[in-house]
Amino acid sequence: MRVLGIETSCDETAVAVVEDGHKVLSNVLSSQHEIHGRFGGVVPELASRAHLERLNPLVEDALAEAGTRWSEIEGVAVTRGPGLAGALLVGLAGAKAVALALDLPLIAVNHLEGHIYANFLEHGPPDPPYVVLLVSGGHTMLVHMPEEHRYEILGQTVDDAAGEAFDKVARFLGLGYPGGPAVDLLARRGNPEAVRFPRAMAGSGDFDFSLSGLKTAVIRHVKAERAAGREPSVEDLAASFQEAVVDVQVQKTVAAAEATGVGTVLMGGGVVANSRLRERMALEAEARGLRLLSPSPELCTDNAAMIAAAGHFRLVRGGRSSFDVSVEPGLPLG
Amino acid sequence: MLVLAIETSTPQTSVALGTEQGVIGSTSLSWAKGHSEIVAPAIDHLLGWAEIRPGQIGGVAVGLGPGLFTGLRVGVTTARTMAQVLGVPIVGIASLDALAFSVRYSKWRVVAVSDGKRGEVFSAGYRQVPGGVARETEYQVGPPERLAADLEASGEETLLVGGGALLYRRTLESGGGRVEFASFSRAFPHAESLLELALPKFHREETSRPAEVVPYYVRKSDAEIDWGRAGRVA
Ligand SMILES: [Zn+2]
Repeated sequence: MRVLGIETSCDETAVAVVEDGHKVLSNVLSSQHEIHGRFGGVVPELASRAHLERLNPLVEDALAEAGTRWSEIEGVAVTRGPGLAGALLVGLAGAKAVALALDLPLIAVNHLEGHIYANFLEHGPPDPPYVVLLVSGGHTMLVHMPEEHRYEILGQTVDDAAGEAFDKVARFLGLGYPGGPAVDLLARRGNPEAVRFPRAMAGSGDFDFSLSGLKTAVIRHVKAERAAGREPSVEDLAASFQEAVVDVQVQKTVAAAEATGVGTVLMGGGVVANSRLRERMALEAEARGLRLLSPSPELCTDNAAMIAAAGHFRLVRGGRSSFDVSVEPGLPLG
Repeated sequence: MLVLAIETSTPQTSVALGTEQGVIGSTSLSWAKGHSEIVAPAIDHLLGWAEIRPGQIGGVAVGLGPGLFTGLRVGVTTARTMAQVLGVPIVGIASLDALAFSVRYSKWRVVAVSDGKRGEVFSAGYRQVPGGVARETEYQVGPPERLAADLEASGEETLLVGGGALLYRRTLESGGGRVEFASFSRAFPHAESLLELALPKFHREETSRPAEVVPYYVRKSDAEIDWGRAGRVA
């Protein structure tokens, strides 16, 4: 069964065709970084306008690349939240129009569920239960999934999301937007032990995160160094900051798996593209005998294949949305 | 030729199905729900009631504004995508043109005015011509006081039509211009007007491909306005 996926929750317009929930026939996207770059963050109105112009050409590309005709599509999956309201609306309107024109089932999907189901794309469905670390520009949370489509939030950030922390620190260091890839790249040439930044809530005993203090610590450190007449190495700063973020995430994820007695750990979200997080988590999982799954980096960042996959697994269980379904900018997981 | 028309530039969501012989059916709703929750169910209902398969649609007409950005995005995306999937042409019509067309029998000059929110209105001026109206100004956005001043300066008898005119009736009257107001049944552009304006265009093949049709925003996004003013964002 082939499902068309549409994702427009933030600043990527994305369309994909996925077969049987795991075989990616096409996965095309158009990033808007060049539009938002000069503003240092996503401008909702500009994102919405760009989605409107790019969606239809991308739908054309996705079908062509998949070598698929409309008559072979059996469902339309689309993100309904969380995300930017105006941006989500474009994707949802487009998906409803496809479903309407072709009399196909519409499946409105939670973006976060998409990030989790990105794991199914390459590995096929692993046997539950799982513990999931979800880290992106908007979210940082640990989730226990006793079975498919059941979510128990174990903990989440009390302030900034991890991706947000990367963006803010990157902006402070003058690395541009988006910050994650820039920090990752620089950090490879830096010493993660150069500066010992605080590991906020590392010993809190729960599964919550706090990331806003870390940015302040980086700024304070740079000011202190400059006051002392030293110019700190940007590479060392990037590596040390990244290490502080990764440390807490790895530690809490492993603790969550042990506390719930779960043997399989999944990761999802744009920050999972970070090479240090992947490397450290792989080492820790091996040491503890945990099975670790993570999507390949291009499937960690926002894409429509993950939405098609999540939609597929809802559809096969009879899930179907009505045409009056609305966008839900603050849609919780569950 | 069977045409589906979609108009979402004002608080009212309006959808119509029709041919050269007339309107087959239409629905309009301007209450409670957003455009996104209404457009697709409305099309679905109309098609179902009229026992028409989507594949029988030969063209899609859509209102391009200027008007409410959120509504326009829903309507234009729906129209573009329906046309794309069905492989049919699309005709974009300015929503203010549709509003003015609905009072085309007036001998007076017509100004179509829709609410632009934030204390502003979208407007355009029209003159009666055989078979309809011809626009004689650009599409404008600005405070109603400015439009009132323009009306006074023109000194012409003017019929004001649209929700923006009714909302700022006092202001527009106070300019001292000779103005009359179309009734509230003409407050919003209707998809039936789009049908009527679009059908001749389909016949003359003055159509677009789906990806060519974009809303008339007229107003820049807030971020661009701030950016232009300050040269940077704080
Ligand atoms: Zn995401």
